[in-house]
Amino acid sequence: MNAPKTSKSGAWKSIWLRHETVLFAILILEWLYFNSVGPRFGSLDNSCDILRHSVEIGLLALVMTPIILTGGIDLSVGAMLGLCAILFGKLWRDAHVSVWIAGLATLGIGGFCGALNASLITLLRLPPLIVTLGTFSLFRGLAEATTQGVDTFTGFPNFFLALGQSELVGLPAQAPLFVAVAVGIWLLVHRTTFGRSWRAIGFAPEGARYAGISVERRVGMTYVLAGIIAGLAAVIYTARLGQAKADAGTGYELFAITAVVLGGTSIFGGVGSVHGTLLGVAAIAVLSNGLVHARQPREVAGMLIGALLLAALTVSVLAKQFAARSKIGHARHST
Amino acid sequence: MTMPKTFALTLLAVGVLLAGCSKSTDTSNTASGKKLAIALMPKSKGNAYFISCKAGAEKAAKELGLELIFDGPTDPDPAKQNEIIENWITLGVDAIAAACENREGISTALRKARAKEIKVITFDSDASQDARDFFVNQATPEGIGNTLMDEAARLTGSEGEFAIITASLTAANMNEWQKYIEARRSSKYPNMKMVALRPCDDLKDKAQAEATALLSANPNLKLIMAICSPAVPGAAEAVKQAGKTGQVKVIGLGLPSENRRYVKEGVTDSVILWKTEDLGYLTLYAAQALANGSLKPSDKTFKAGQLGEFEIQGDNILLGKPFIFNKENIDQFNF
Repeated sequence: MNAPKTSKSGAWKSIWLRHETVLFAILILEWLYFNSVGPRFGSLDNSCDILRHSVEIGLLALVMTPIILTGGIDLSVGAMLGLCAILFGKLWRDAHVSVWIAGLATLGIGGFCGALNASLITLLRLPPLIVTLGTFSLFRGLAEATTQGVDTFTGFPNFFLALGQSELVGLPAQAPLFVAVAVGIWLLVHRTTFGRSWRAIGFAPEGARYAGISVERRVGMTYVLAGIIAGLAAVIYTARLGQAKADAGTGYELFAITAVVLGGTSIFGGVGSVHGTLLGVAAIAVLSNGLVHARQPREVAGMLIGALLLAALTVSVLAKQFAARSKIGHARHST
Repeated sequence: MTMPKTFALTLLAVGVLLAGCSKSTDTSNTASGKKLAIALMPKSKGNAYFISCKAGAEKAAKELGLELIFDGPTDPDPAKQNEIIENWITLGVDAIAAACENREGISTALRKARAKEIKVITFDSDASQDARDFFVNQATPEGIGNTLMDEAARLTGSEGEFAIITASLTAANMNEWQKYIEARRSSKYPNMKMVALRPCDDLKDKAQAEATALLSANPNLKLIMAICSPAVPGAAEAVKQAGKTGQVKVIGLGLPSENRRYVKEGVTDSVILWKTEDLGYLTLYAAQALANGSLKPSDKTFKAGQLGEFEIQGDNILLGKPFIFNKENIDQFNF
């Protein structure tokens, strides 16, 4: 009685493991290849660089995962990062708030931006794609208007810049924050009822509603979370560059979405994992860094990321079909 | 049944990645030699201005037998310049030459390079002074002012009325140029008279409207001097439409490509800028000399290959007098 059930879930697991395993294998191949052509690629310094450069996009990809799991999307996270960076700079320079308090306030600002997305999506029942396309423009526009496109915030104190530029026991200073967020989101998605309900919503929103899940609240939560973390990413970004300008984070939303989808999360929702997203971020980051070490123009990176994504999607779709068929096979077997 | 298919696709994905990579191995083997490696960063990679800088740099690299790495942002993300520079630091290049899009932001990365004993030079647009060893200055305000005024005097026979179209009355660099234009006029060409100074907000349309107004208000006008780049074709269009081609001369500061048509039609007489190829050539020679220790902070002159001696003022290496593009030579330049 129990045996077929475990083998069924075992089959499921092995398939989803497969996507991530494939990605992991690709990552290792990338690493080995670049290590063989770039003498300094494998150095600790370079690994730190890769980690440092992928923190902001990594954070955005992490919070994009629950959103896509529910079947939504957030195109505004990059613009949100830009707006948060500007307001962070304004709070610190013009309102003379200490950097750390300004940083905390920035998380709040991000949360507020996310709440705006959330309320438009859940209260007005507008499609997330349209809402966040609107706020994408709105947030970037606000950032540009606030600074008239020219005002740049610089001259942050050294102890703040250390957050983005220095090293802590051999690791980039921002790494602990990133790890903390990654672990938090992983637990949220894979070990709590929130995670399960997000999946359920992505799989069948109406079904989730009938099952007694407060769909609006759970969906709204993912956008607010994305806002807060975008605020955090803005603070780290500013510390890393030592400047906040209205164009901060341009195009990051697409990198984040790419990483999530590459990581095996279905764009239709319902299926996906946080560790997959992390692998997706790593695969992209290693690729664009490695090409510099292979002395290749970085434009090649865009091409290869595109090819990688399409290949991964194809594999994913076929795996799903395979799963569906084997399910039918199972059903036939048991009857 | 579909299992092998999935597997095949996985292989394909890896194959795509490897194909992309292995194709690149052919060109990347030169990296490991003992040649000096100098990295050159434009503000943006596709810009024709910087492409012609690159041509000069390539020529210098060939003469000096060093490896030139040319890379820069292709998207508008300001963090990219920093990431590329940080990649170069780990790559272990000997010198970095950068044209800075974000003064403060890029200085963060350049300081880091200097801390790792990599020589840093800036060209075209400077970073913070403490973030680089030398700045290759393509034109001093005095050089620009003098060349413009001399050219105006040459075309008008050193007498008569002229008008200036500037970007805005508050732009610091333009006011600086204008100061030298006026100084030159009063000391060398007292019979020339500036009858108007009009702002065009860096817009071609507005420049054209201003020039039209100038033409009707000043019947004795002999020359229009446009000192921001959109104003040169703007003024030329106004003169052409007023049917005063040849009667009212147009000169200005701008790109040859934007003015080629008017120069060939005889509306615009001279376009003043610098030889971008020489800028790239000089920058690379200076970077090489810095890296091998033959160029020192106290030096007063610097010899760059075929171009000969250049003056050094403080930590600025001066490219020298601006170059005048006219009917005879404009076809040789494509930026």
